[in-house]
Order: sequence, then structure tokens, then C-alpha cells
Amino acid sequence: MLAQKLHLLRHNVLSFVSSRTGSDLTRRQYDVIVVGGGHAGTEAAAAAARLGAETLLITQKIMTIGALSCNPSLGGVGKGQLVREVDALDGLCGRAGDSAGVHFSILNRSKGPAVWGPRAQLDRERYRQFIQSELLSTPRLTVLEGSVDELLVSQPNPEEPGHHRVTGIRLVDGSHPILSSSVVLTTGTFLSGSLFMGQTTSPGGRMGDAQSCAGLSYTLKETLGLRVGRLRTGTPPRIVKESVDLSLAQLQAPDKQPTPFSFLNTHTRCKPEEQLPCYLTHTTPGVERVVRESVHLNCHIQQDAKGPRYCPSIESRVLRFPGRRHQVWLEPEGLTSDLLYPQGLSMTMPPELQLRLLREIPALHRAEIRTPGYGVQYDFVCPTQLTPSLQVKSTQGLFLAGQINGTTGYEEAAAQGLWAGVNAGRTALSLPPMALSRTQSYIGVLIDDLVGRGVTEPYRMFTSRAEFRTYLRPDNADLRLTPRGFEEVGCVTLRRYKKAVSVRDGLQEALMALQSVALSSTRWREKLGNISLSENKSTTLNGLDLLQYKDVSFEMLASAFPECLSQYFEYSQRLKIEAVYRPHCEKQSREMERIRSEESLSLPSDMDYLSLPVSLSQEVREILDRVRPNTLGAATRLPGMTPAGIIHLLNYSNGNFHLGCGVPLGGSG
Amino acid sequence: MLPCSWGLWRSAIHTLKTFSRASPSARGLCIPTRAVCDAETIFALSSGHGRCGVAVVRVSGPASSMVLRNMAGLTQALPPPRTALLRRITDPQSKELLDRGLVLWFKGPHSFTGEDSAEFHIHGGPAVITAVLQALGSLEGVRPAEAGEFTRRAFHAGKLGLTEVEGLGDLIHAETEAQRRQALRQMDGELGRLYQDWSYRLKRCLAHVEAFIDFSEDELIEDGVLNQVDSSVRQLETEIERHLKDERRGERLRTGVQVVIAGATNAGKSSLLNTLCQRPAAIVSPIAGTTRDIVETSLDIGGFPVLLSDTAGLRDSSDSVEREGVRRARQRVEQADLTLVVVDSTQLPPDPQLVAAFLQEHLSTVLPSPEAGMTAASDRVLLVLNKSDLVPEEQRERTEGELRERPGLPPACFLSCSTSTGLEDFLTVLQSRVKTLCGDPLSGAPSLTQARHRAHLQQSVQALNQYHQYRDQDLALAAEGVRLALTHLGRITGRVGAEEILDIIFRDFCIGK
Repeated sequence: MLAQKLHLLRHNVLSFVSSRTGSDLTRRQYDVIVVGGGHAGTEAAAAAARLGAETLLITQKIMTIGALSCNPSLGGVGKGQLVREVDALDGLCGRAGDSAGVHFSILNRSKGPAVWGPRAQLDRERYRQFIQSELLSTPRLTVLEGSVDELLVSQPNPEEPGHHRVTGIRLVDGSHPILSSSVVLTTGTFLSGSLFMGQTTSPGGRMGDAQSCAGLSYTLKETLGLRVGRLRTGTPPRIVKESVDLSLAQLQAPDKQPTPFSFLNTHTRCKPEEQLPCYLTHTTPGVERVVRESVHLNCHIQQDAKGPRYCPSIESRVLRFPGRRHQVWLEPEGLTSDLLYPQGLSMTMPPELQLRLLREIPALHRAEIRTPGYGVQYDFVCPTQLTPSLQVKSTQGLFLAGQINGTTGYEEAAAQGLWAGVNAGRTALSLPPMALSRTQSYIGVLIDDLVGRGVTEPYRMFTSRAEFRTYLRPDNADLRLTPRGFEEVGCVTLRRYKKAVSVRDGLQEALMALQSVALSSTRWREKLGNISLSENKSTTLNGLDLLQYKDVSFEMLASAFPECLSQYFEYSQRLKIEAVYRPHCEKQSREMERIRSEESLSLPSDMDYLSLPVSLSQEVREILDRVRPNTLGAATRLPGMTPAGIIHLLNYSNGNFHLGCGVPLGGSG
Repeated sequence: MLPCSWGLWRSAIHTLKTFSRASPSARGLCIPTRAVCDAETIFALSSGHGRCGVAVVRVSGPASSMVLRNMAGLTQALPPPRTALLRRITDPQSKELLDRGLVLWFKGPHSFTGEDSAEFHIHGGPAVITAVLQALGSLEGVRPAEAGEFTRRAFHAGKLGLTEVEGLGDLIHAETEAQRRQALRQMDGELGRLYQDWSYRLKRCLAHVEAFIDFSEDELIEDGVLNQVDSSVRQLETEIERHLKDERRGERLRTGVQVVIAGATNAGKSSLLNTLCQRPAAIVSPIAGTTRDIVETSLDIGGFPVLLSDTAGLRDSSDSVEREGVRRARQRVEQADLTLVVVDSTQLPPDPQLVAAFLQEHLSTVLPSPEAGMTAASDRVLLVLNKSDLVPEEQRERTEGELRERPGLPPACFLSCSTSTGLEDFLTVLQSRVKTLCGDPLSGAPSLTQARHRAHLQQSVQALNQYHQYRDQDLALAAEGVRLALTHLGRITGRVGAEEILDIIFRDFCIGK
């Protein structure tokens, strides 16, 4: 029996595994196999299962499913938007954050609701527990402990060189293959990963975990011929809380009233008064001195010559921006943890020097290190080889998500995982793949940037990457994504859908009610007291117009017209935000429409640009051949692309379509 | 220059299943309503500039009927579609008479662009044309067209057949080329430096606001970053507004077809200039490198306005003044509508069969690289083989025979500036080229370009107002104002993408993982 050879681990946390899956793998074939149990893998597996696909999640250690391997926090500016969107599509991380958060705050509170950044410090243990119990209670989802040795692909068709089809995977223990037509790889930093600390290097993707997946790396690079690049990241030392003199650091209190990430939650598991504080402190000239003195003992930083534009480690910070104070946040690791996480102090120098460096910071003058910081270098697959559904263009059924695509961050990984899982599930169920538009979501921006332009440094989400930031707000992610997630994608459960629809209808009614109350500005002044309205006296304004004003709140309007507005109190904040942004979003709608229509025109992934019989300059041909844009929209955003080139491309596609000769026009999505 | 993206492909062939396009279930709420009625109305001079009896100004877009009512005094009813009507054309504000001319009304979709359109057929003098274009620009919701915009609108409306689309790529190429040349001309000089400087400062402002939005909660963004942005934005507004008010400071754009004489030293470029303008405008001497700066002169060739420039001979020089002259010469060639490449015929290979290859090689050293849009085969180059009197007649004739209709080479004329032999023939060729270029509305109607710049600068200032309006209320909306201002300025100086802003952020601030 296959399953006898597989070591199915039932960790004590997961005592109900046996009751659900039995002691053996019941199948030898699954609709979808997800490899990796991090943020991308868990979202992918859950999404595929929600779609209705029989799904198998394979991870090296069941115990570490849902582990926060780096910082104990979720969300932030830009990243918080991603969490809200993943939640709107019924993903896990938002609810997990609400369950595990021990310190909630909305960043950018003073800068406008479009750029608010919901963020929480997490209890690592609670986060892991939530994700694990969520996965193990998901119907159609089986979790298996094991290491994947090989990705099985069908023999390339001699008539289509370079094209493959996924057929399944084989585990390291050499057992029978497990078959599937859709495989999602979310192996994080484990592709040819190596760990750096001081002058020592060892293979691996994370300290304390098994080695990297050499077999997988081989299949991706050699068999499938995928181009890979190399990136680096790192993590700071963990500090014993007791050894820190917190009186020398600045206390950072959480929001008095925690705001949940999830649209389903009205409150968080952690009560407001139970929340833990963070602490802020700064580097000193002594820190800079230790970095400079240790550069020769630090392989990772020496190789950082062509590093990213931002500063991934304290070493690169002080070397690139010398003579400055840099911020260090001391973050709790959980309610019961005795550790602190020093955000901003990722470092790769030898452990004894790490200790010296820490102790140059007043609050850490007698700090003790539990585990030292280290650096990781790993392979990523150049994401321009993917379609907007996150499938490898040349390999039917193979999906990639997370750090393997060159991103950094839990939220970026979760977002891709969810979308890869959706498409893996759809492929398995013979449904067409789907793409998310950059005009509709940050997830769309993320994926479009990845597959359209590729990465040169770990990709992280910023709000400035989204052209339509004033529309892609954290407050309206449910309206943007949930109904469609249910009606068209199939990844949203009925319960969430009903809730979103009722909110949508309620808001719609409330907006109409607001528009129905119209008065001259003189009358408004009489009703609401001393407010400054710029319009002249005779102008008639409705409630929605008025709500745009800084000093006007929904509550004020509701008290002026209680009979028609007071029933909408629950939406007061959302109505205020909607009133302020609506005129701006309407102004942008033409630009959005343009981008959307360009996105809807796909280009064949196997187009031979070098010999295309149209008049394109050699330069443009080479750009197109290298990047192979998925859509005309992506092509127009390529640096070096000319308007004339776009017209010729369009014309070519058009002509071929009319001939109906079956040119595969990006059918893979 | 031209942002490479338009809302075409509506009738797109293969629809990638895009999640976003989905059902209309979103209703009005939060989802911006599909804009149909807010298309802008555009205008342009559709006939060429230069000497012409009648000029045609085209207007397209929803406000076309309003334009006709306001400028042709048609307060009652519009004329029947596609019927010419003689009207007094007046300034909509001052009611001053601008011209008497024909007006035509085209009701969409029965028009070139498929939109409501109007045409003004007016007298061809520059003063009349400028006055009408300015009057159009003063109307609300009406703006000068971008290069190729009429054709593009026709394309969107499905007014072009498949074969016509075939030609559209080339047309747009020509249009972007023309726009690029124009932009280069304008960017060269005080005005260009001014716009570039504004654009650079605005980029920094945006980057700093964005850094404050994306990073100030986690990273150490120095206090006062926003205060600096406040004052920079205010300063920029003041400067742009002052520039818009002060008409005199607006640099006069050079009018006419730009013809540039270029070539190696001592080929006789200055002699050609003097021959063409029949007066010694440039100093000629047998010493190589006599001309160091650009000598410019206005000419009338066959009745068409021409701005003729003589440039320094192209050679590597150790003299810094001459090197600068060579740099300017190369720059001028890039901006030219027509380049006359002068070659000393005594330097040609005596074997006529080798001449074509020699000239090809020579052209590649004089003309800018092919991606700049100019190739030797381009109809924007003429070869002048000067000093023909010093070449044996028999050799000259055989060479001429060799070069006739040679594909890949521009037309070549033998000419002697000292004896004027061959001048007649050369002038004929030159005239026909200039005539073609003048008939091409793309070779620069400066008043339209100025109007376009004005419109973008005004919109830029308006957008900056939004920054101040929202600065304390909502920084995301304030930043949107700066972004919009930069987009408008970018229509003059070149587009700015998100990555460029991130570059500045990461350069100016220390941002962690």
C-alpha cells in the first residue's frame, strides 16, 4: 500500500486528523496537489478545496503549517489591503489574524481611508493553531507530511518542444507517485536555498528545517527549462524579553478598540484590554561601528553588491545611509512567549558580534539572544514565465505562488496562493482560468506586476503601485471582490456571500436615502450649525454632497433627518468614506475602462515574435520575445514598446482571428 | 512621447476571461460608473501649414455642436448634416469677427471619427488660423488634439476597415515621429529646460508624499518632509501660473519646414547655404571647421516657408568649441524635417560601382541611429554631391547612372556651388520635398502645439490645487493631485511610471524590508 510507505503524521495539535482522513491516504489521485504549508500553500489548498476540488496539501512538517517564520505580524500599509482582499475572497489569513492578534492598529489613520493600513502583532501559537484547525476541518482537503522529490510531467510532445503537462509528484521516500493534473508549488525559500551566518554557509531554506528541495529544483530548471534568478532575505535574532530594559524604549500602544481584518468578524479574539504593547528604540553610532568592523566576517553582506534598492538588513542600512539613527521596533511574539522580535535588525554577522551589536542599543544593553539572525539566498522562478492565473506558461497544470515567484511578505504570498489555488482548482474541474484586473484589486496589481514586468528585488506591495488607490480601499474590498468571488469564481462560501450582498444593498439604500435629502446650503447651515460650505447660498446640496465635507459626519446628518437616515448607523464610517472618494473614482473610471479592455485582449504565449510577419523593429521584437506579455495591456506597459508596435500586434491578432485558423490566442489565460 | 496605450480593442477578438469585467451586479455602488458621456472634444488644423488658400480645422467630440453654435452664430438650428454653410466665424468670448468661411456639421456616427464632428474651412493665413485655434481652445471641454488622435478615435469607433488598420500602424508611427521631432525642438532651449525642471521637481514631490504614505509608520521619515512638499508645490504652482500669464516669456516656436545642412568638414555646407539664400549668410573658407555654431536663415522655397540651418562639419575634434558645435549639429539633424547631406564629390571612389556603398557608409556616420526613426532610405534626406565641377564629366555621368533609383539610398544631386551647375535640378527636387512636407499637417503647427502645452500646464496647476485642498483632510487624495499634475506635465515631457517614483523613494529614504 502506498499509504503505508507514506509517513502520515498526526501532531498532537491535530488530534482530529485521524477521525477525518483515516490513518491512510485514501486516494492515489487528487484534483489538486499543493506543495508547501506556508502562507501561499495554505491559502492555495483551502481555496482549491472551497472550489470543490479534492485537494492534497503536502508539507515537510505538519507541525509548522501556518508558522510565522519571520516577523510576528500581519498587515500594514498596502499589505493590509491584501489581507482584506484575501479575506473578501474567503481566504484564511484575515480570520487567522483576528484570532491570533495581540496588538491591533490601523496605520496611516490620519492620512485618508484609502491608505489606511490594518495591522496586527500576532501570537505565533494562536496563528498556527487557527490555520491548522481551519485546514483540517476543510472538506475535500487532506494534509500529508512528506518531502516532494520530483515533479512528474508528461513527455514533451515532439511537435511542441518545451511544452509539458503536469501529471503528479513523487515523494522523497520513493513511494508510488501521487497523481494530479494540477500542482501548486509554494516552496518559499527552499529552492536551492542556502543559509548564511557570519562566514558559514549551509544548505536549507529555513533554520531548523529540512534541506532544500534539490529534486524539485532540478525538474524546474533542467526538465522544464525555467529561468531562475537568485534573491536574498534575512531574519533578526530573537531576544529574551526579560533581558531587555524596556524602560529605555518608547512604548507604542495599540488602538484602544481593535479593528478586525475580516469582514465576517465584528470583534477580535483578543479583548481590547488584553492587548500587548510594542516598543520603539533606535540604533546608535556603536551599532554602525560593529557593522563596519564585522564586514570582513560577513559573507552575506559582502555578496550584497547588487542588492535591492531598499535595505533588507541592518548592515545594508548603516552602510547605505551612514550617520543616521535607524528605528528598531521591539515586538511581542505572543501572549505567553518570553521572546521579543527586533523588527529592523535583520543581520547575518557571526552570533557573538550580533550580541555585541544589540548591546550597543541602550534598551538592549544586557540583551540575551535566544536564536541568532541569519540570511537566506534562494532561487526564484522569473515570474514573467507565468500567466495571470499564475500557471507556468510552458507547463499545463503547474502553478507557482509566494516567494518562489520573487515576492516577500506573508500577505503577498497569501494573495498569490489564493489565486493560484483558485486556478489550480478551476483547471482540475475543467473550468477556464481567471485573471484579476489591476483596476479591481491589489491582488491584481501584484500579479500583473509580477507576470508583466518580472522582479529584480523581492517584490513587496506598496500603495503607490496601485494606480487606482482611491478605489482599491480596505473598506470596500468585500464589495469589490466577494459577490464576484461567489458568482463567477466559486471560491466564496454562501454565508459570506449573503453577508456581502446584504451590506451592498444596505449601503446602496443608504446612499439613495442620503441623495434624497436635498436643501439649499443656507438651510443646511441652519440645520447643522456652524459648518463651512464653499457653495453659494442658493445652491442645493444633497446629503451625499454634504458628507464630502471634512467637518460633516453621517451622525450629524442622521440627527438632522432621523426618520430616513438613522437606520443606517451601522454603515456610518463606510458612507463617509464613500462620499469623499466617489467623485474621484468616477473621474478615473475612463482610465480604468481603458486598462480593463486592454487586459481583456490576450496574446498567444507561443507567438514567434522574432519572425512575425508584421513591421516591428528588431528592438521591439526582442523585448516582446523576452517578456512574452500575456495581454495587450501588459505589452503597452513594457518599457521600450511603441504605439505603432501595439497597433501592429493588434492587427496581427485580429487578422488571424478572423481567419479562424485556430491560432491559440492565449487560451491558457 | 506618446503614451503607448489607448482604449482600443473594444471589439476585441479573444476575450481572456477577466474577473473584473464580469456582471453588472456591482450597480452604482462604489464601482465607478462606466463613462460614456465624458469623452473630451478635440480640435486640430487638418490641412497643412504654409501657403494655402483654405485651411481646414476639424472638431470632434460631444461638444462639437456647442462649438458650432458658439463660433458660427448658429443659435437656432444646426445646419443639415454634411452641408456646407457660409457663416461669420466669431470669437465666442469677445464676439469679434475672426473670418468668413464655410462650416460643416457631421452628426455621429456618420463622421470620420464616428463622433459628432464639425469642420471650419477658413482662409489660410497664419493670423486667421491662429485666431480660430485660440478661440476653440478657450471653450470649456474643448482641447487641442494629440498627434494621431482623430485617426485613433476613428479606429475605436470601428470606422476603419481591416486594410485601413493595416496602414494605421505606419500612420501612428509617422505621427509619433513628428511629435517626437517637435518635442525635441521644443525641449531644446530655455522652454524645454523649464519644463524638465518642473517635471523633476514634481517627481520628487510625489515621491516624498508617497514615501510618507507608504513608509512613515514603520520607517524613520524625517519630520517636515510634507512641509517641504507643501512649499515646493506652492512654488511650482506660482511658477507655472506666472509662465501661463506672461505671454511674452513664451518662447516663439520656430515656424516653417526645418531643413538642416549636414556633412563632413569642408564638404561645402556653408557654400550651399549661401547659394540657396543668394547672399553670404555664412562665412565660407577652405579651412576645415570654419562653421562652429549653427547658422540659421529663413527662406522661401517655392512659396513655402523654410528654416534653413547650416551646421558644423562632423568630425572628432580636440577643440572644445568645435566639439560643442558638432554636438549641436547632431542634435539639429535629429530635429530636422529634411536633412541635406553634403558630400565632397572629389572624395567619392573613382569607380562608380563603389559609390553607392560609400554613400551608404557615409550616411550612417551623419544620420542618427535608425531607432531615432531616420534611415538613409527615409524621404527626409537628400544627398548633395557638391564640387561637381572638380570631377571629370564622364565619371560624374556614370556615377549618376549608378545612383539613379537606387533602393536604400536617398535621391542624390550633383551640384557645384561655385559654378551653380546642377542648381536648377537640385532646386526642383528640394521644392517638391518641401511641398510634400508642408502639406503634411504634422510638420508642425506651432500655434496648436502651444495651445496643447497651455492646456496641459493649466490642468497641471488645477491638479496641484487639489493637493492643497486635501493636504490636511486626506493625504491619499492630495497625492492624487500631484500624480495628476505630473501626468499632465508628462504629456509634454514624457511619461512617469510608478517605478521611477519608487527609485526616488529608495534613494532619498532608508526603507527596510
